[in-house]
Amino acid sequence: MKILICIKQVPEITDVTINPETGTLMREGVSSILNPFCEYAMEVALGLKRQRRDTELVAISMGPPQARSALMRCLEMGADRAMLLSDVKFAGSDTWVTALTLAQAIKRIEGDFNLILVGKQAIDGDTAQVGPEMAEILGLPGIMYAVGVELTRDTKRARITREVEKGYEIVEMRLPGLVSISKGPMVRSVSSFQEILDARHKELRIVRASDLALDQDKLGLHGSPTQVVEIFPPRVKDRGELVDGSDAEAATEKVIAFLREKRFI
Amino acid sequence: MHEITSEAVPSVDFDVVRRVDGSGQILENYSSYLTDESKLSHQGAESLFFPATEAELSAIFREMAKQGTTVTLSAARTGIVGGAVPYGGAIVSLEKFDRVLGLRYDRSAREWLVRAECGVTVRDLNTWAMKKSFPGLNERGSAETKEFFHQYRESHTIYFYPPDPTEMGAALGGTVATNASGARTYRYGPTRNWVRWMRVMLASGEVLEIPRGKYFATPTGEFTVIDSRGSETTIKVPTYSMPRTKNAAGIFSAPNMDLIDLFIGSEGIFGAVTQVEVALQSWRSPVSIVLFLPSDDKAIEFVQLLRRGKCLHPEFIEFYSFSALAFLRIKQKEDPRAVGMPTIPEYAKAAIFFDIGFDPEARDNDCATLEALARECSSTLARSWAGYEQRDLERFKEFRHLLPETTNAIIAERKTSIPELHKLGTDFAVPDEALEEIWAFYTSKLEGAGLEWVAYGHIGNNHIHINIMPRTREEMHLGLSIYREFAEKVVSLDGTISAEHGVGKIKKEFLSIMFLEKDLEEMKAVKRALDPCLMINPGTLLDIVRKNEDTHLHKTGS
Repeated sequence: MKILICIKQVPEITDVTINPETGTLMREGVSSILNPFCEYAMEVALGLKRQRRDTELVAISMGPPQARSALMRCLEMGADRAMLLSDVKFAGSDTWVTALTLAQAIKRIEGDFNLILVGKQAIDGDTAQVGPEMAEILGLPGIMYAVGVELTRDTKRARITREVEKGYEIVEMRLPGLVSISKGPMVRSVSSFQEILDARHKELRIVRASDLALDQDKLGLHGSPTQVVEIFPPRVKDRGELVDGSDAEAATEKVIAFLREKRFI
Repeated sequence: MHEITSEAVPSVDFDVVRRVDGSGQILENYSSYLTDESKLSHQGAESLFFPATEAELSAIFREMAKQGTTVTLSAARTGIVGGAVPYGGAIVSLEKFDRVLGLRYDRSAREWLVRAECGVTVRDLNTWAMKKSFPGLNERGSAETKEFFHQYRESHTIYFYPPDPTEMGAALGGTVATNASGARTYRYGPTRNWVRWMRVMLASGEVLEIPRGKYFATPTGEFTVIDSRGSETTIKVPTYSMPRTKNAAGIFSAPNMDLIDLFIGSEGIFGAVTQVEVALQSWRSPVSIVLFLPSDDKAIEFVQLLRRGKCLHPEFIEFYSFSALAFLRIKQKEDPRAVGMPTIPEYAKAAIFFDIGFDPEARDNDCATLEALARECSSTLARSWAGYEQRDLERFKEFRHLLPETTNAIIAERKTSIPELHKLGTDFAVPDEALEEIWAFYTSKLEGAGLEWVAYGHIGNNHIHINIMPRTREEMHLGLSIYREFAEKVVSLDGTISAEHGVGKIKKEFLSIMFLEKDLEEMKAVKRALDPCLMINPGTLLDIVRKNEDTHLHKTGS
């Protein structure tokens, strides 16, 4: 059996501060980590591998060269191989192009998979779009916000526990399919030092745009139907003024004067 | 030179100092100021002050001296020996002294130095240093400071402040007063090693400004303090020798000692440290490893090997005993997320937590030596937890901190029904060669006693914390008796009764195990010289009687 885990490297959000002069996010000196939800996806994959020893786990990411470290984390956790899609032509990709690129890599290089796991969302973008888009592009059934995955013995179906607004529901899905993983009750695992050392000898393949046979116009910023224009913290609203209503007439006049001043009336 | 002149601080009206008056008001609305992490029962306080400047602090000291009222210094209140617990009188909280004041590079020493007020926490100082962002420094710093700050930010090296008490929320002034240490003391030494300058306010309300390396005791062991009016006070340095371990018990003493060292570790009984300048250390990228071992004895054997290993250079070496892992397993069963780590493996009967240098980018990190040491102790690197990202280093630290946090919480709960109970936590350390002997002694006494206990700690410094958690008054008495036996044994091995927590109010009786009566009198003489009215921190470190019985400030410490 082969399970693909699509992961992303993200900034450690708790380290990000806001520039008090410009109001923009300051990413300088912020460390990069494996997206926590992707880490939970790896945990689910490892759980499935423990049940079936013949399972191969392949971690895949699209990102700049430094995203290697996120894939290395997956190898430390127990992934057997890793693949990094990294090319300057991928820069500026929105979620759709990211999904397209990952899907193409999967089709061309790792097409014989049984299951794709992704984190439910990345903690920097928070769109939660790439997983569903990949399922659509690959023509796969997709179940999102899972907290548990079990496979039938014949690996033809998966039984998924997923979060819904007021609890959980259990859904069955035929395989191959795609599942996005939420945190649920999981505790992040810890690798042994031996696993950390061994990871550095596992295969981590770099894949370029030229390896994917995709129309160049469909890649990167140029191919993206959407573009992030600005990221800023929510503007802090003024507290406002509380009008004392004990004298109704006076209070009414005050409110009317305010509305006139602000040209609401 | 051995003479130093104190400076008068510009006066300010005592009435402008923010304060709370009345023991009832303090008990009802500010009760957190009446205790610290020791959970020692307080004796109330009549006033609570919040000075924001040295001028305000000076006004408080002068007024309290005039009134004959004692003063207990307070800041983060993370101490565990009752140093901040008032025995009546006034409490002075230094929490408003929370600014970073300066940053500079000392070219001769080749180190970066940060100057901060005493209420800055160790956690904040470290975060600011590592992130290269000191709040307000650019706005209020001098042109020179701004230039240094620019250079600091441009440097590719990351810097940190090495002293790492387990409770990083401790205030800098408190850590100086107690010569605090932590896990990294193994490699970097305690707070004393990192303090380069301080300002300390004496009971008179005047300030001594003490750079390291300027004022030294005479060959006969004396300093002279001259106040702003020209009055001279002679201070005689105690003549005893310090133990051959890390130590936080008693006043520091050494031949030709530096004056700054007299105040470091004096638990605030000589005055209030208001500002400190400390050195920073360059950060090297480590991997933290928790190696699981099959027994406590094997863990100790591993420690000895790790210490002797020439190429590994761990920054710290920490111990989780069989009892500690069993304790954590119970917590994990109750709530896996409270522990925040995976299930502790069944084969783990003890663990050693340490870190070594590691290059995550390198394909081959040579760990053959480490694997060989592990195998010699019936373990292997496959039987470990490890991490090198900052969030993992923090996670391991939180895991380590869970033990004292949990034992404190247990005691706090038990105190609600039996107020006299408190945790019996040893803070003893012995020289390297005595580690096996003291561990065998600890376990032989504890195993027969039927008490609830866990053992963990800074084994790299032979500084194991035994936490006894009494459930009844009888267990409390039994625990105290065992504790005393431990103290006597440790001292017989040339160790210390307090390696990092200080003596405070809780451990005074054990000071006489470690020091002779004449040694204690020498400490008291220093206290009387610097604080003749015995105003500051009554009841801490020393039980001392004023010779003049005309004032009600005549006896402290009961």
